[in-house]
Amino acid sequence: MIKLSMFQWVGLAIFFLGVFVIVPMMIVSTGRTDLFFTLTSVGLLAIASAGVWLTFYIGRINIGQGAFALLGAYVSAILVTKAGMSFWLSLPLAGLFAAFVAVLIGLPILRLRGVYFAMITLVLTQVFTLTALALPITNGAKGITSIPLPGAVSIFGLTLIPDFATLENPRQAFYFTTAILMVLTYAALYRIVNSRLGHLCRSMQQNEELASSIGVNISYIRILIFAISSFFGGIGGAMFGSIAQSVYPSSFQVADSVNFMLNCFLGGLGYVFGPMLGTLVLYFGWDLLFELGKYQMLVYSSLLIILMLFLPNGLLSLRMRKSGGQK
Amino acid sequence: MSALLEVRHVTKKFGGLIANNDISFDVKENEILSVIGPNGAGKSTLFKMISSFLPTTSGEVRYKGERISNLKPHVVARKGIVRTFQETTIFKSMTVRESIVVAQHLRAKASLAGYFWGSKTAHEDVESFGNYADDLIDFLGMAEIANEQASNLPQGNLRALGIAIGLATDPKVLLLDEPFAGMNHEETMRMVDLIRKVRDERGVTVLLVEHDMPAVMKISDRIVVLNFGEKIAEGTPLEIQNDERVIEAYLGSADDEIGM
Amino acid sequence: MTSGPGCGAGAAETFGRDRMEQILANGVYLGAQYAMIALGLTLIFALMNVLNFAHGQMYVLGGFVTYTIYGQLGLPFVLALMMSCATLFILGALIEKFLFAPVIKRSSRDESTMLLAAGLAFFFDAVILLLFGEKQRGVPKIVNGVFNWDFRLIMPYDRILICVLAILSIVSFILFMQYSKTGRALRALAQDRTAAQLMGVNVDRFSMIGFALGAMLAGLVGGLLVTITGVNLGMGGPTSIKAFMMVMIGGAGVISGAIWGGIILGFMEAFGLAYLAQYGDITYLLIFVSLMIFLAIRPQGLMGKPWG
Repeated sequence: MIKLSMFQWVGLAIFFLGVFVIVPMMIVSTGRTDLFFTLTSVGLLAIASAGVWLTFYIGRINIGQGAFALLGAYVSAILVTKAGMSFWLSLPLAGLFAAFVAVLIGLPILRLRGVYFAMITLVLTQVFTLTALALPITNGAKGITSIPLPGAVSIFGLTLIPDFATLENPRQAFYFTTAILMVLTYAALYRIVNSRLGHLCRSMQQNEELASSIGVNISYIRILIFAISSFFGGIGGAMFGSIAQSVYPSSFQVADSVNFMLNCFLGGLGYVFGPMLGTLVLYFGWDLLFELGKYQMLVYSSLLIILMLFLPNGLLSLRMRKSGGQK
Repeated sequence: MSALLEVRHVTKKFGGLIANNDISFDVKENEILSVIGPNGAGKSTLFKMISSFLPTTSGEVRYKGERISNLKPHVVARKGIVRTFQETTIFKSMTVRESIVVAQHLRAKASLAGYFWGSKTAHEDVESFGNYADDLIDFLGMAEIANEQASNLPQGNLRALGIAIGLATDPKVLLLDEPFAGMNHEETMRMVDLIRKVRDERGVTVLLVEHDMPAVMKISDRIVVLNFGEKIAEGTPLEIQNDERVIEAYLGSADDEIGM
Repeated sequence: MTSGPGCGAGAAETFGRDRMEQILANGVYLGAQYAMIALGLTLIFALMNVLNFAHGQMYVLGGFVTYTIYGQLGLPFVLALMMSCATLFILGALIEKFLFAPVIKRSSRDESTMLLAAGLAFFFDAVILLLFGEKQRGVPKIVNGVFNWDFRLIMPYDRILICVLAILSIVSFILFMQYSKTGRALRALAQDRTAAQLMGVNVDRFSMIGFALGAMLAGLVGGLLVTITGVNLGMGGPTSIKAFMMVMIGGAGVISGAIWGGIILGFMEAFGLAYLAQYGDITYLLIFVSLMIFLAIRPQGLMGKPWG
């Protein structure tokens, strides 16, 4: 029942073709399978960034996504290594647990606005890193290592997902898994933004008092959005842990939280696909600058600053026709 | 006519400061009642308590016998008592129509999940929101600016937009926060007509808080006068005009609002 | 921004850690320097509503200027300190004029300045890395000897001197804000931008001065502390985080709040390190968690005005 214009259908078809057929084929034919890993990382970071973007949509600057990614990574790792659970079951559980924790933490902190919320979420990332260092179950600074690759899933003898460990190229399998998850995430995000929930979010973003005066239960929507956002963070983190087969307290830290935020800003906060584009550009931008050696950081940060100076409303603001967030 | 809204012994203290002291009055069904008073008389504090944007220190506000003070604002709105704001409080980056559509939140039948999956009820809702918005835009005579972004509207239209957003919720009681503030005579008279029309044609009971005496005299069925946080008079415009304490309060305040 | 607890401004070693006198003295010492860092951050926030992510990096930069002039070139410490202040003041002014002011003017959202500030933090990190490398740098002691009161309170003289200098700087900053013409204009600007403009305050000019002053304060603390803790590249990020916390404890944009925030964090750290040091990073975890609980109860901080 989703109405899209011809233009959007074509765009979508090209996107799917690119992600699921052309890019993998090109990678395999050129033999640069390391690119699978790079693109998988981009996809997972884009999933977590989607969550950050959603909290922006209710007018909250979220610099705490690293905390929920870390949480998701640990939950999945612990369930897989200590309880022997299948990764495929631990993945949604990691997301749900992150969402649950987000509800508990969100109840008090979502009352904060603007810079206050930004600062406290930043501190939250630090708290989670320190907690991971201190708790026995997370194994402190040593982290959790040698996490087995995702196992097979079969129903009635029919193998739906093969055991990643038996695959010739698990990276390719992770790439496809991530691509599917990313598509699902952004489809969900698009629906949220373009359905009633999104409209209510927009009303809250613009004026919380007025929103509550028309009967919007703003504290409920805030919690709901923060939980969904953290769910994305937890899923992204859990996948990362599985690919790296290890989780450390330093797997996601303050710098990562800041980067998630930057991805959203860079892509543009008014556009649903902004965070995806932002992640891609930032990640590859950073990679491309690798050649510059010790000047990598200098050039990268200068570019960021220049970009901000000339496109303060994000990359997608270059396009005149607005999509997504602006209906 | 029975009392629709009852204000009972409402008191508000900020620290040692008494903003409202033991204020009681009734708002009857389908009337236009104004609360007036010189600057600092405690009008806006009372207004916020009636709409539950501020808790009362003691006393309560009842709607159809049910307490509505000290609740969450959205709960009060859900019961049909909806407030407006002064002109700066709008959905800045929405068009007039979008604002009216979003403000029909309370009329939604489908759940948020229903909207997400695109259920049948949700589609019906969306259609009915659209129709209702068109009706309301016609009713308010805002067709020309319906697709204008709110931040681009001139000041004069913003107040009407605020009332449109309030009306979109289909309220029983509309609480208006200084609807005439900063308006010239002509604009004021247009707003007076609009508020009358809202009451007459949509059956909405109106409680407003206001400075502008001539407008209040013209529009109100009854008036409640506050001074220094106390209720000093209540009655028809004619009674109020001849009330000695009211005259004294307004003369004594040496304010520029002696419009009577 | 790199993270990692405990590598901030002055967490270093403590002396005679179980004596109450000692803990209190450490608290004062830590609190004074923290308050200075928080003051700069809160000033910038109050004036422009900018959360300066690069504040920690500015502090580190100040440290490196003093390191170069006093430690490397062997010039007098006072001169080095003044150079730290001057460098950061000029840098702050330039950053405000050519980066923040245009972005604030052109962006449709306030938040865009956060990206700019984060970009600046990365930029400073890169510059510091290129100029000074990753190694920890120290300078010769400015005064020798240790104050020792019967082994109840032990504190090296240089720490006492730095602490006194920090307190003097805070006092002069407050006096400056209270009584000077510039200070009054800045306060008017912080209170209400539009009203200040109507009153004839040159908003653009004083925004620049305010930002420069905030940056200068960061540079000054950096210059002071390099004599004790040394300075390294990794200090920036954690210092910013601590500064954010102090500002939140006290109430963002409030001068007295920043001072209280600094003192409270300083004492919490002094007590935490004294009693909880054997549990490793628990001190910081507890500080962070108690801060979050505090803010959940009192979102506006100690001195901030209630809102929302």
